[in-house]
Amino acid sequence: MARYPLIGYLVWLILFGALFTWEGLALARVTGVPSLSDVFRVIMRYPFGRWALFALWLWIGWHFFIRGWHFLLRA
Amino acid sequence: MAPDGILALTTADRQALIPMSAGYLILMSALAFGLYRLYRPSGAPPGAEPPPGQGEQPEQAPATPPGTAPATPPGRTPATPPGRTPATPPGRTAATPAGPGQRTGRAALARKIASTVIGGYLLLMAVIVAYYFGVARVGPGFLESALTGTALLLGLAAPVFVALSWLAERRDRS
Repeated sequence: MARYPLIGYLVWLILFGALFTWEGLALARVTGVPSLSDVFRVIMRYPFGRWALFALWLWIGWHFFIRGWHFLLRA
Repeated sequence: MAPDGILALTTADRQALIPMSAGYLILMSALAFGLYRLYRPSGAPPGAEPPPGQGEQPEQAPATPPGTAPATPPGRTPATPPGRTPATPPGRTAATPAGPGQRTGRAALARKIASTVIGGYLLLMAVIVAYYFGVARVGPGFLESALTGTALLLGLAAPVFVALSWLAERRDRS
């Protein structure tokens, strides 16, 4: 059984914590930082930005839900 | 006697469950905090109801003509801060009556969605093929899994997306 080091969880925790802190501050309008919706809205103005976001969404779904998975949960 | 609750899980289950639960709690807390600050009028005590028609739902906020400042009551933050675009979800138009150009708008939206799906799929395939041949040959079934797995995702997500779009449009009309 693989044992994952604690540092991996800490790095992910810091990354997601920073992301949610940024979004919380933006939604609370405490600072002038743009929210994630603003960022995505700017990216989605351009066709290549839409392609990249869609490709990222597709890759995340494939990586987390499809890879290593067999049809009808056949192991 | 077996221990109850999370102690009864194996190490692998705990390693999968605890980060997922923590992430879910962090996400929900951040969203709750943001929504609370977004909908609570500044200066009003907690629990006080906002004035009627003043942005209970962002989708129903009155549209502001371009070039004019939005009417904001005193003691309340404007719905759209300066320098930001109005809070209209991407891909959705404002609540305007259906006009003669609606079919053209639908066709344009369909073309935009189709180009996004095809362009994004091709872009991802190009990146995966470049990664496979240029960086690391992960495994023999990697390319096949990428081709068929993402196609399966599209096949699952597209009908749901179409159905939800139809329901949202029907709700806006009623």
